Amino acid sequence: MKYLKTIGIKSNQPVGRGFLFPYDVSFASDGKIFAINRSRVKQGWSSIHILTFDEEWIGDFGRGQLISDDDYHFELPVAIAFDSKDLLYLTDEGSNEIKIFDAEGKFVDRWGSDGFDGAGFDGPSGIAIDTEDCLYVVERNNNRVHKISPDGRSMFKWGEFGTSEGQFNMPWGISLDSDNNVFVADWRNDRIQKFTSDGEFISAFGKSGYGEGEFNRPSSVVVDSNGNIIVADWGNERIQILNPDGSFKMFLQGEATLSKWALEWLNVNIDEYDARKKSDLYIKQLPPHLRTPYHVGSQTEHLFYGPVSVKLDSEERLYITEHSRARVQVYEQS
Amino acid sequence: MSSEDKLMISHLLRRAGFGTTLEELERYLSLGYENTVEELLNPKSPENMSNDVIFRLFPEYHASIGPDAPANWAYKMVTTQCPLQEKIALFWHGVFATACDKLNYPLVGLNQVEMFRQSGFGEFDDLLVELSKDPAMIIFLDNQTNHKGAINENYGREILELFSMGVGNYSEDDIKECARAFTGWTIANADYMALMSQKDSIWPYSRISWHFEYREDDHDDGVKTFLGETGRFNGDDIVEIICRQDATARFVARHLYNFFVADEVPVPQWNITPPKDPEAIDELVNAYIQSDHDIRSVLRVLFNSEFFKHAQFAKIKSPIELVIGTLRSTGECRTPSIDMVRAVEEANYMGQSIMYPPSVEGWHTGEEWITSGSLVNRVNFASDHLGNLDNPGVENIVNHILAENQHSITAGQIVDRCLEVLGPLGVSEDTKNSLLEVASKLDVIESNGHSRQQKIKKLIQELIRMIVSSREYQFV
Repeated sequence: MKYLKTIGIKSNQPVGRGFLFPYDVSFASDGKIFAINRSRVKQGWSSIHILTFDEEWIGDFGRGQLISDDDYHFELPVAIAFDSKDLLYLTDEGSNEIKIFDAEGKFVDRWGSDGFDGAGFDGPSGIAIDTEDCLYVVERNNNRVHKISPDGRSMFKWGEFGTSEGQFNMPWGISLDSDNNVFVADWRNDRIQKFTSDGEFISAFGKSGYGEGEFNRPSSVVVDSNGNIIVADWGNERIQILNPDGSFKMFLQGEATLSKWALEWLNVNIDEYDARKKSDLYIKQLPPHLRTPYHVGSQTEHLFYGPVSVKLDSEERLYITEHSRARVQVYEQS
Repeated sequence: MSSEDKLMISHLLRRAGFGTTLEELERYLSLGYENTVEELLNPKSPENMSNDVIFRLFPEYHASIGPDAPANWAYKMVTTQCPLQEKIALFWHGVFATACDKLNYPLVGLNQVEMFRQSGFGEFDDLLVELSKDPAMIIFLDNQTNHKGAINENYGREILELFSMGVGNYSEDDIKECARAFTGWTIANADYMALMSQKDSIWPYSRISWHFEYREDDHDDGVKTFLGETGRFNGDDIVEIICRQDATARFVARHLYNFFVADEVPVPQWNITPPKDPEAIDELVNAYIQSDHDIRSVLRVLFNSEFFKHAQFAKIKSPIELVIGTLRSTGECRTPSIDMVRAVEEANYMGQSIMYPPSVEGWHTGEEWITSGSLVNRVNFASDHLGNLDNPGVENIVNHILAENQHSITAGQIVDRCLEVLGPLGVSEDTKNSLLEVASKLDVIESNGHSRQQKIKKLIQELIRMIVSSREYQFV
């Protein structure tokens, strides 16, 4: 993968361009980017922002702007995915439901809050949609994957708490390859598990650690058309790419540059821009208690800091969303 | 175990920690007093929720911007199994007061707290060197503007006045020479980081943490005369000289006494007001000197001393001690949530905003914690939380009180057990009589049935609220 560009800028408001606490992105059929902004500290500030690849700001919805209408209120949104009809599905681990919107941000439906199909959700996290528009929803607190039909019926579930094949410990992200095989970021087991679309275990990759093929709390996974498995190695503050057989391929550490919005801001805040140009933002040495990926990320602006989500657009460009840097770094196939 | 053991260990855990739950007290009682002291002094694993889960359940703690940073620390204080590690960090935070409102990024302040956890029990020399390299302190006291040939005395002054020796033990020339020795001790990209701090800028990509940088080209390597000694001193040499001064030993001892034993007058009065217990200070000074300035050794002497054991309830709880102690008792903060941010705000209303001390002098303690406004906040907070029967820790307390002789329990026994589990707390005769008067409602509660138990629980709830509203509960 080759670094392409950075999108975004930090915002301290839930309105207008920029990101407050971006958590995931997805792409409508016309290429528009939909991005979750999540905020727990300021209740009612979570929202979905809409923008283009060229950082044209289009708008936002959610953040409870229709206070009387709970349909537009997000508590703790985690992930989003579009189906083939351009409907956007959002998981909310605060309200334990899925909310559905059209590509204009208009509310369509919600599932789960009243005890979805007699089962309900408990901590819905990652979400993926197959070629038949069936949903695969990860439930963090139930340690399982829940397959749901396009009309909202529970089809089946698999998984339970544990470390064996097919068991999970607080799973998070989920993705499908071109054959509808299911990849789950088994977060607290530090591995990726691969299943058939019927939930049969195929294989698992990774173990705890910082070396090649090792993970520290992987939060998101996506598979490209060549079968490469791209993992947000969240706790190690990096991206790790595996070959289709699960062997190590490469790391991405982050190479952020100034986005269009960032440049626009710096061009009207010349004092900061000038001081920044004279700075060397690469760290040299940290005291022992700060030599961790978390602290390195916190001190080094271009490196990943909170890389929570990996997604591919229709051109197979890789979008890495960083919640603590309020931006998305984009890579292209090399 | 005798009631005396229970009194002593409860006292120890209030001072070396934030109080105990009933379960914790049982475990410490089985260890015994001296072994408990050793366990507290040698923390292993805090066994609280690990950062990965905290960051997932409350991702804002990952970035630790704004109120998330002190809430992050408060959450660790509430849940830790190594309370003295958090308490020693709180102690040094009060001595080396660094306010995050000048820092742009509170994570830098949290990193300083982590440094206190790691170095706070060790040799004072090492701690002062780490402090002098700490990016939060460098920005807070402007040492990034302390240059060769153009010194800024701010850090040079405070390291002597407030961090080690105290007023009256050095000259103005010593301050200047000290400042010269610390030229070149700065942070990387100092100009940009200082500018971001001044403007409180979060752009373009949120706040950037800082790291220490030693710039040899900006260090004044000339000969200096400091506290009567002469040489080409650098910052490390200055710290070494400071730490072997008798005044430093006395200053550190008095700070430890003030925080862990009994309230002293505010620091600015120390050069004109003798210590409350000069013999106790002498003991601590001797421990400091004999251990080569090892803070753990000084604390060992302190916690095992007679003057410490005789100082029960000789201190007024600081707001954060009151809030954290209450929340540890109620057991209501087992996972990180927005409630922790609110709890920190409550301590703020009572007069102590952790990570945001009012000045480099830190907080004035003792009676200065109590005002008519702060007292109302303290009483309301403790009463609201410990008087809530839905909190798991409160439910445990009530069940413990009712565990024996539920059917034949007397009003006096209920009062005694309430006072025991909330301290054990000794109260004045007036307070005791008021409690007994309320407890006498027991006599008119019917003798059988589920409703009797519920009514007794309500009565205990009322008594708990009264006790935590008492004058005695404000002491630790």
